[in-house]
Amino acid sequence: MRRLIPIALLLPLLVGCGNRNLILTIDILSFMDPGSRTVNYGPIPLTPSDTVEVFSDSLNLLQGVSDVTRVMSASLDVAASFDNTSGAATGDVLIYFAAADSADPFTTTPIADIPFQLFAGQITNVSTHIEASPALAEVLTHDRAKVGLRIIINGTSFPIQGTETLTKLTATVIMKKDL
Amino acid sequence: MLRNGWLALLMLALGLPCGVAQGQMLDARRLGMGGVVTSDVGDYTGSNIAFRAVPKGTGGSGSIPLPLGLIQYLADHPTFDSKDSTFNIYEVANVLLNPPLTIKLWQPDEVSGDISIFVAQDSLQIDLADVKRVIPKESMKQGGVYHVGGFSKSFGKVFLALSPLVHVKNELTLSDNLRDALRDAVPFTGNTRYGLTDEARAQAAISFQVGYALRALYRASPTEGQNADPRRNGSTSLYLGAAPKYLLGLAYGDAHSVAGATTGDTLFAGSNPVTIDMDTQTRHAVVGGDGGMGRGIGSDVGAVLYWRNFELGVGLNDFGSQIRWSTTVRRHAYDDSTNEFTTTEVASGERFVSRIPVTTTVNVAKRVGRTTIAGDIVNGDFRTSMHAGAEFWFGMLALRTGLSRDQNKMAQFAGGAGYRLGKIGIDLAIATNSRNIERERGAELSASLSLY
Repeated sequence: MRRLIPIALLLPLLVGCGNRNLILTIDILSFMDPGSRTVNYGPIPLTPSDTVEVFSDSLNLLQGVSDVTRVMSASLDVAASFDNTSGAATGDVLIYFAAADSADPFTTTPIADIPFQLFAGQITNVSTHIEASPALAEVLTHDRAKVGLRIIINGTSFPIQGTETLTKLTATVIMKKDL
Repeated sequence: MLRNGWLALLMLALGLPCGVAQGQMLDARRLGMGGVVTSDVGDYTGSNIAFRAVPKGTGGSGSIPLPLGLIQYLADHPTFDSKDSTFNIYEVANVLLNPPLTIKLWQPDEVSGDISIFVAQDSLQIDLADVKRVIPKESMKQGGVYHVGGFSKSFGKVFLALSPLVHVKNELTLSDNLRDALRDAVPFTGNTRYGLTDEARAQAAISFQVGYALRALYRASPTEGQNADPRRNGSTSLYLGAAPKYLLGLAYGDAHSVAGATTGDTLFAGSNPVTIDMDTQTRHAVVGGDGGMGRGIGSDVGAVLYWRNFELGVGLNDFGSQIRWSTTVRRHAYDDSTNEFTTTEVASGERFVSRIPVTTTVNVAKRVGRTTIAGDIVNGDFRTSMHAGAEFWFGMLALRTGLSRDQNKMAQFAGGAGYRLGKIGIDLAIATNSRNIERERGAELSASLSLY
């Protein structure tokens, strides 16, 4: 209920500030269970593709913020690291955000699709910046949201095995007053 | 409903410091002399009751402000519509602090800029950017005693006066932790209390006053001639004044509030990561309501001595002024565990004596020919201000200059000119001030008519 009261108390300072913005940067990763940031994949046998659901979690977000602010834009910075011990593949990291009342975040359209390539014995770091996603902005200013991360691996050398770690998941929301 | 709540919070946060426009001088003659008060400059509000007995001199007897600033305001003013994208509460607050009666030559840059907040599970950093300017290094103190309008009639040395009296004061103090977090963008940390205290008081009364001012001592100067003005005839004169007053209290209210949020081990862990504490004790009485009317007494006293064209005045307004009330005391406390406020009546009909703070004005002046050099110190509720200025007459033209130390402890500068046309003169003054929510220096042009 009062998760972000310190922020809410500061909103009056914003709303008086003319045609200016509240730039809210949320380190979503820090709110997640550390155990859910890392997932081991494989060994994946000889199959055209495989899907690994890293996590699906529900987050408490910015309660009250949407009452007095209007979201202008939102962006997302995502980074992940693959420590691929064997095999080779191409693939995609898919990020999903959905409203809290949705049954499953993976039923929505992913807001980010990060392609990657994996080679045996190599660590691969991937990252992306998703700019101005209205869907993300809508979700992030509600009390709760669901977030999900899915990896699609298209193998080229088998078996594929390794560890994926989500290293960055930061949302930046730009809001204006809306009294 | 929630929006109204936010608006109320907004006005509470920003409206309290505004108070009544402090120290805005519409008398361009006085303003040009740095705001100094003497027995013939700028004492139209009665800072020293003994001045009433001093014969009218050549220095003027009144002032009529010319609110040229209204033209500027009508041409360009901030919006009051909170839904307008250009709405800026700080600009609105500055209008309240600086009613648009004088022309603003320059003002501090408006508070603007983006606010940045970084949130992680165990980190919160807030960069208020430009808004930091409105957060004081020390507590926010606002208030004063205001004699608003009223009626006065003299019968020789005796005078009768009836005037409304309003006393307001508010002192908002942020804890060091909260101030550092807001002013210096220091990250919020766990297991820390971020708090504030607020002491607010307001009272209003009608003052019925009977006063007497007289010349208590007079020793003529050999060079006095026909000049009856003790300011310039070299005589030794002492004028005294006293005016007891009966105060009919209309309303009284005070609130002592303590509030804060204490963070847990992790800033945003669990469903209630902060513990909120709020405790306010209020006391009030109001005519027609709880406690009814208050009754009290007070006085204004003053003395001014002239010696070889040197003037020394001491005026005490609201000396010993107090009002007795029958008050209701309530305590409003917030229970973090239930997320509810509870109000309990601590006392009903409790006798309480409120005091009106004394305003002390000490002024000195020396007249040499048509030149006046003057200074004063004014000590009132919360603040002491000092002014010094000079006026030089060349035929019908007067040139003025002055400086002052204002309630924000900043040096301010002034200059002006006047031209006398018989019984009327027109005066212009340019002066700096820090009467704005940013507490930064601005400048204004004031115009008025002087009555001689």
